[in-house]
Order: sequence, then C-alpha cells, then structure tokens
Amino acid sequence: MNWFTNTFGTSIGKKLMMSCTGLAFCGFLAVHLAGNLTLYGGADLFNAYAEHLHSLGPLLTVAEFGMLAFACIHILSALVLYLENLKARPTRYAVNKNAGGRTIGSSTMPYTGLILIGFITLHLINFHFVDKTDRTIFEIVSAALSNPGLALAYVAAMIVAAIHVSHGFWSAFQTLGANHPKYMPIIKKAGLIFSLLIAVGFGFIPVYFSIIS
Amino acid sequence: MQLDAKIPGGPIEQKWDKYRFDLKLVNPANKRKFNVIVVGTGLAGGSAAATMAELGYNVKNFCIQDSPRRAHSIAAQGGINAAKNYQNDGDSIYRLFYDTVKGGDFRAREANVYRLAQVSNNIIDQCAAQGVPFAREYGGTLANRSFGGAQVSRTFYARGQTGQQLLLGAYSALSRQIGAGKVEMFERREMLDVVIIDGKARGIVTRNLITGEVEKHAADAVVLATGGYGNVFFLSTNAMASNVTAAFRAYKKGAFFANPCYTQIHPTCIPVHGDYQSKLTLMSESLRNDGRVWVPKKPGDKRAPDQIPESDREYYLENKYPSFGNLVPRDVASRNAKEQCDAGKGVGDTELAVYLDFADAIKRDGRDVIEKKYGNLFQMYNKITADDPYKTPMMIYPAVHYTMGGLWVDYNLMSTVPGLFVLGEANFSDHGANRLGASALMQGLADGYFVAPYTIGGYIAGETLNPVTTDHPAFKESIQAVNEKTEKLLSINGKKTVDDFHKELGKVLWDHCGMARNNNGLDKAKGMIQNIRAEFWKNVTVPGSQGEFNQSLERAGRVADFLEFAEVMVTDARARQESCGGHFNEEFQTDENEALRDDENFCHAAAWEYTGDDKEPNFHKEPLTFEHVKLTQRSYK
Amino acid sequence: MSKTINLTLKVWRQKGPDVKGKLETYQADGISTDMSFLEMIDVINEKLTRDGKDPIAFDHDCREGICGMCGCVVNGRAHGPEKGTTLCQLHMRHFSNGDTVVIEPWRSRAFKVIKDLVVDRSAFDKVIQAGGYVSVNTGGAPDANAIPIPQVIAETAMDAAACIGCGACVASCPNASAMLFVSAKVSQLSLLPQGKPEAAKRALAMVRKMDEMGFGNCTNEAECEAECPKEISISHIARMNREFLKAGLFSSEK
Repeated sequence: MNWFTNTFGTSIGKKLMMSCTGLAFCGFLAVHLAGNLTLYGGADLFNAYAEHLHSLGPLLTVAEFGMLAFACIHILSALVLYLENLKARPTRYAVNKNAGGRTIGSSTMPYTGLILIGFITLHLINFHFVDKTDRTIFEIVSAALSNPGLALAYVAAMIVAAIHVSHGFWSAFQTLGANHPKYMPIIKKAGLIFSLLIAVGFGFIPVYFSIIS
Repeated sequence: MQLDAKIPGGPIEQKWDKYRFDLKLVNPANKRKFNVIVVGTGLAGGSAAATMAELGYNVKNFCIQDSPRRAHSIAAQGGINAAKNYQNDGDSIYRLFYDTVKGGDFRAREANVYRLAQVSNNIIDQCAAQGVPFAREYGGTLANRSFGGAQVSRTFYARGQTGQQLLLGAYSALSRQIGAGKVEMFERREMLDVVIIDGKARGIVTRNLITGEVEKHAADAVVLATGGYGNVFFLSTNAMASNVTAAFRAYKKGAFFANPCYTQIHPTCIPVHGDYQSKLTLMSESLRNDGRVWVPKKPGDKRAPDQIPESDREYYLENKYPSFGNLVPRDVASRNAKEQCDAGKGVGDTELAVYLDFADAIKRDGRDVIEKKYGNLFQMYNKITADDPYKTPMMIYPAVHYTMGGLWVDYNLMSTVPGLFVLGEANFSDHGANRLGASALMQGLADGYFVAPYTIGGYIAGETLNPVTTDHPAFKESIQAVNEKTEKLLSINGKKTVDDFHKELGKVLWDHCGMARNNNGLDKAKGMIQNIRAEFWKNVTVPGSQGEFNQSLERAGRVADFLEFAEVMVTDARARQESCGGHFNEEFQTDENEALRDDENFCHAAAWEYTGDDKEPNFHKEPLTFEHVKLTQRSYK
Repeated sequence: MSKTINLTLKVWRQKGPDVKGKLETYQADGISTDMSFLEMIDVINEKLTRDGKDPIAFDHDCREGICGMCGCVVNGRAHGPEKGTTLCQLHMRHFSNGDTVVIEPWRSRAFKVIKDLVVDRSAFDKVIQAGGYVSVNTGGAPDANAIPIPQVIAETAMDAAACIGCGACVASCPNASAMLFVSAKVSQLSLLPQGKPEAAKRALAMVRKMDEMGFGNCTNEAECEAECPKEISISHIARMNREFLKAGLFSSEK
C-alpha cells in the first residue's frame, strides 16, 4: 500500500481528498435544496418528501454514514493542510497585501469551514436528533424557524456556505486538474451561480417561515 | 615559448572527426577514478559538467550565484545559429563557417570555427531532445529567423528568451547528474585561484560567499567557463556578478590571455540615462530584422520622431549597405551609430541615441505579428524607459556586450597551463575580432557538450597524473596568498567605495579603449589606469569582514582584478596597429571609415604572458593562416 | 521626464540565519524616478558604506528580469506593485514623493534568510534535481525536426518554461506553496513529446520532493499567478495535478 500513502499523503493527494469530498457535498447540497423546495408546496408535500426519504431505510443509513465519513475526511484534511500551511511560513510579513488573486471565498476558507461545522451541528440538533414521534417534520421546521434568532442564524449560515462554495466549487475542479481554457470560465461561472442558488434557495426558507408565521 | 595550437592536419572537413579518433580514450570503468572541476554553470560550464558526469567522471561544479540556473547565459535573447538549412535557403556547414570567419574579420582560427559549424547541428538536436521549447511553425517543425552578418535564416530561437531556455536545458541535464550524485554542486562560490602542481592544473581555491570560508578542491583537470570581462567597463550589458577574476587569476598562474582588446559593442541597447545607472540593457539584435535604424538628416533636429517626415530622415544603414541593410554585423552597426551621433544627429536628451523604428513593420505585418516576435522585448523597453515602442520608435545606442578575447586555448580548448581547459566566452577561440549574433550560445554549448568532453578525456588518458590531495603545500600557499589579499582589502579603510573606482576605470576604458581607439588615447589610458589602481590600494573602503556574507568584499576583489586586467587590455589594443572587428583604431581606416586590417603584420592572435605585478606582460604570437576563406576587405554593401 | 523623490525605507536587517532580524528605517532622498528599484538600494548602500555602516545585502545579478536572482517583498507585494515585473525592472517612477516603502525578504520555511534580504532558494534546485529533466545523454538525440510539435503545444510549453525560478510564487502565496514553480516545469515537460516517457515518474518525484522541502499546500488562491513576474498561469498547476493523479493512481510508477 506504499503507493497509496505516497499518493494520498502528498499535498496534492490531500487536496484531492478535499476536492472529491467537497464536490460530493456540492452534490448533496443540490439534492438537499431540491428536496427543501417542497417546503414551498406546503406541509403535506414536504412531509411526503420526508416520508419517501425515510422509506429508503438502510440505504439512507448508508448515505448518512457515508456523509459522516466524507465530512471527517474533508475536515481532517483541511485541518492538516491548515496547520501545515501555518508552519510553512514561520515568520509573517510586516505588510500584507493582496495581489489580486485572492477572493473573499478563498481567503476565508478555514473560517467559513469552521462556521459551517458549527452550523451543521446545530442543524442536526434542530432537525435530525429531535423527537419526531408526535410532530411532523414540517411542524418541527416551522416551529424552529419562526424563532427569529434561529432564522437569522440560518440565513447567515447560508451566506457563509455560499462564500465557502464560491471558492470551493471551481477550486475542486482545479485540484482535479480540470482546467481547460474553454471550460474553466464556465466552471467558474457555474460555481458562482451555484453558490448564489444556495444562498438564495436555502436562505429564503427561514424568511418564508418568518413571513407565514 | 612557441604557441602550438595543435591543429590537426588533413582537409578541414575531416579534421575534427579524425582528431576525435586519434584522441586517447579513458576506459569506462576508469572514468569514475578521475575528478574534474568545472567552474561556471553557464552554457559552456553547465553543459560540460553534465556531459562529463554522463560519461562517468566525478565532477565538482562551482557557481557564483545561488543556483546554477542563473548564469549570465540566461540573458541571451535572440537565438542560436545552426547550419541545418531547414529553410532551404542555401545554408550549409561551410557557409556558417565562412560567415563566422568573415564576421570575425579574419582573426579567428579556421579549424576551430569549422568544428563549431559542424557541431552546431548536434546542439539543436540535443536541446530539442531536452525539451527546450524552440519556436515552431504551424506544421510543427522548427522556426528560424535571420540575424546580423548572414543572408540566410539559420537562427533558432525561443521567443526572446533563447539563452534562458538553452541554459535551462543544460541546467536540467546538470540537475539530473547532481540528483544522480555524479556532480557535486557548489553554489555561491567564487574561484580565487588555480592550484598548479608539477606544472599542471590540479585544483582550485574558492571562497564560500555565505560563510566567507576559503576552501580548497583538488582534481585531475580544471575547466574554467567563467564568462567574459565586459564589466571592466563598469557599464555593460553583463550581469552584475560577471567578472574577470577566475580568468585573470589563471593568467597570473601562467595561462596566456589572448586578444583582450577585442570587445564587442552591441549596437542595440537602451541608451545611458543617468550617473546612478548600474548596468545597460540589451535589446536583441533580432529587432533589426524588422526595425529600421534612422536619424534625422539635419544635425540638432529636436522634433519628435513622428514630426520628422520621411524626406528628413536618414536610414543610414540601408543607404550605406544596401545588400545587408539593417542586418550588418554588430561592429559595423555600432560604429555607424557612433558616427551619426558624433556628427550631431543623435536623438534623445543626451543626443547619444538613434531610432529603431517599427512603424513600417507594424503597418506591413500588423501589431499582432510584431508582438508575437518581440512582445517581451517591447515590454522590457517600456518598463525601463516608459515609452511605448509600438507607437514611438525605440531609442538605442551601442553598449559593451561581449568579449571575444579570453584565455588562449589550443584546439583542445586547453590553455597554456596543462590540465586547465577554458570554455565559452572565457576563451578566445572562435569569434576572431567580432562575434556574429546568435553565435555565443552556439559556441558555449559546442565547447561544453561536444568538444571539451572528448579533449579532456584525451588529456586525462594521455597524461600521467600523480594522485594529489588538498594537503599538498601548493594549496596552503594559494590559500595564504588569497587571504593576504583579502586582509589587505579590508584593512585600507579609505574614503572611496569600490564602485567609485570601478566607475572611474570604466570611463577611462570607454573613452579610450571603447568603440574607437587611437594610439594617443591608449597611451594616456595606461597611465590613468595605473593611477586609479594605485589610489584604490590606498583609499578604498570595504566594510565588514572576511568570515561573513560580504558583497562589498566580493566586489572589491573583482574590481582589484579589473584594475590590473584593464592595463593588459590597453597594452594589447596599443600593440595591434590595425583596425579589425571590435578593435577600431581610428588611425587605421579606409576612405569610407571602415576598419582597415593589416594582414601582413597582424594576422595573428596576440597572447599575453604574466611576468609579475606592475611588469609589462610578454607578447606571444599565434599566426593565423587562412586556407579556405580568402582574406579580403569585409564588405556588407 | 525624470524628477526626484524622497522616500522613507523600512528594510529588514538580519545578520545571519539564526539571528533575530528587524525592520530598520532609512531615508532615501533625491531618488531619480528613472532609477530602478535596485539602483535605489545601490544609492543607499553607497551612502551606508561611506558612513562606515554595513550595506544592505540583497541578491541581484542580470538586472534585466531574466536571471531570477533578485526579489523582495515591497509593501506586501512580491517584486513590488507592478504586474509582470521583477524587482530589477521596477522603476522608481511608480512611487510618489513621501512614500514609505517596506522591504522584506521572501518568507517561507523552505527559504531561510541568509542575510538581510538574501534568502536560500536551494530547495528549488532540489526539486528540479528530483525529476525536472528529460533523461537524455549528450549525443543521443534524433534530428530536431524528427518529432513535429504543434505550435500551440510548443507555445504553451514555452509559457511554462518562462519561469525564472525567482521564488515570488512562494513569497506571495498565503501558504508559502511552491506549486506554481514546480508545475511550470512539470507542465512544460509533460506537454512536449520528449518529456512524456518519464512524465509519471517526474510528477511523483517532484511533488514529493516539493513537500519534503517544507513548502505549504496550494489552496488555489491564485496569488502566485497575480505576482509571477513571467505571468505564468495556474492552469499549469491544474496540469500538474492531473499529471500527478494520473501517475499516482493509474500508472505503474510507485
């Protein structure tokens, strides 16, 4: 297995793990967003969607553990990369200035990532590890999001997620080596549109619930 | 001492082949028992070190910069010649040979030049195989362009960075050998002495530029590829660290210095603009392919270039040399620029510049084509002068660029010290009195890849080399001498900086031993140089100490050598009572102000032997015979 | 037209690799705007020398932007504020009278400070020694036109080959990563047919050596591309990623 650690243990190998898991999360976000759009169809439609999802049974568990594993890989690689990067410049510059390459997304990746970990924990506590015996999922969501503080936190988190994805999306392609003069501009645009969709698509849900409550 | 160039007999086409066969070989298993020192990592040194290591020798390679990739060969822009005849325009090995001998104003050794033309083709093959990204045609074959002094298109190039790409090719070959452990690389080292034992070069003494430690290294043969001495003029297109020290210390140990007065003043450089200036920047000669050189017809015409109508412009090169036009050799182009400026037609603030105009080329080919060919050069010009050459003509003026003179070597590239080989610009061998454009890269790589590895092998196989270690007393003596000199430099504590002296020296040489010389000026220069040197040793200040990273000390040592070397240069220029190529003595010119050679008395290489400090060097003569190229007045009309 | 300006310099002074350094202030008066940045330091150094002080050590050689020897971080920007420019080609006309200019050495664990603004970049050489070459001995080459190379490929390879190895990519990268430098060589040689036979071996060896030398990891921030004096594109980094993954996952090279 020497070749395996020799490949994945390198800087590019770690980045490969970041990008693959990151892209998987982008896929997850897309599916999650599509599912959540049923919220706008009212309680029945949303509950039916949740029902359908849970009817997948063991498949869902596999997916959940898969997600957990991906999250661990993504977070651990990020942590290792972050610490290595800190170590790579023991003396900092007295003056720092951007040359024009960095974006808000790229320069805040570790911090937006950290916020997202917190948010996901909160999100799971709110909607996953919650007593669902005598309430439908729609009621749970509706109750939670009618709390203005929580609603605000959700909106903010979605903006953070969008910022994270705005760099993460194209960056994943770059890391995988998919940089082609014809397609890279499209990928970059797609990444921006995708992050915008996340911010608006997810971010509007708490706003919607504040309005209807 | 009779100089023996050891030129093999036989027809010129077969000399090198036959000679290679006659050279003794070192058994492959024995090669690893021999150590070779290579000083310098430019095209010549880098390629020699890599090739010797590939053959199996143990190589120690030294460079002054922090990496072998930074040798000054990297700054060559235009290209490298080869007689491939890919353009089907009538080129051949013989024509490259002929052009080079003629371009050198008949002061080069025919056999060497022929060999150079022969191996030129192998160089292109070798470099392409290394992954040098030469410019290519749409069909995928190699592209060529024309260069000064030739009427065929034989110059291979990689944008305006040919030297860089060829050097990185040699550097990659060298890196491979360093990685394989066959070359031991010593960066940031300055060679300060050659160690001679039993009359043979057996090692060197270097200063570690980081720690200041003086180190000793023994070997079976020593190769100097330490470049030219153009920086003796202070202002030149050479890199700041380029110097004569290694060559000059070898001269002091018995290697003869040949033709030091042959300096090439390159016609297309950015003009001088202030007394703080540290160096001059070359604009590749390839620009003359498309740029037209002109000055206003009326002296003192102060109008902006676009205000001067065609009828008031003088395209002096095109008018004077209709068949070569703007592509005359460098010495001719430079002298003509000087002539125009002397006549008061110079342009710009200093009136020491001529125009190089691309307006017609842009009109003819479009901006895109010109940008593709010269984009990086135009950009460089723009950065330095803040002028846009796409809109306004460039201003150019000649500047010291290359030195044809160097340590005397025989056909083996071995100096008068057995076991001391000299390669590339550091030797004198192939360019005569004037080098053609795109020939320096060719010579450096020819020496390093295809000549020296054979001849050094021949030397090693043919000599009895007693084992020598650095414990030999000769090393101790050498280190002592080096240390004494350093201590002296540090102890003067005078009032003037090293650069002050260097600038003074440079001005004397530029005024009296530059583009044009005369006997009176040369005689005067000699005294002036002696005075500057005397003051230097009394009044220079060198801060810091020996045992540390000390750039002032480095420069002081180099300038001290320049101050001695300059006198040899002037002596040589005074002795050559003729004009040829880069050596133009105003007292010897034709009615049309062209260089007037004296083949009867001066068809020779002048080799100078060191006889002691403050003593006149001894003159030795290597007569040059021309069996193939007829000695004629060079004509580019 | 030339004019003169006065500047306040804050220059990193450090006696040696293991000594603590600090920024020191110097007054640079009467600086001609036609001077290059390095000529400006020359002027300061001449003055320091005359005053019996230790001049500022800085690396420089060709002073025409090709040798890659020079380079400092000027006001937080590698090689100063001009795009596509080495420090030696940066001219003082880009500064204004009264400016404060902070000059620092390249900062990276892999580039130790030797003295003042001089750093040790031998890590770059070591990466090249690990595989930045085509294994061809002198003399064994076929005719240069035997293998045609499409012009666009040759030109792209040349774009990458233009790297001067100055280290600005490392200096400007927030993570002190050397990916642009390493990828320039990997990309050049993987594009050309001559480099293909050992492409897999090269990619693996050079990337591993790069990591070993202590450079940081690439996070695709593209600061290197923005600062590179030769304007080398990060698309070469993508090509290296591709070459590396291909080599690590699908080739028989270990």
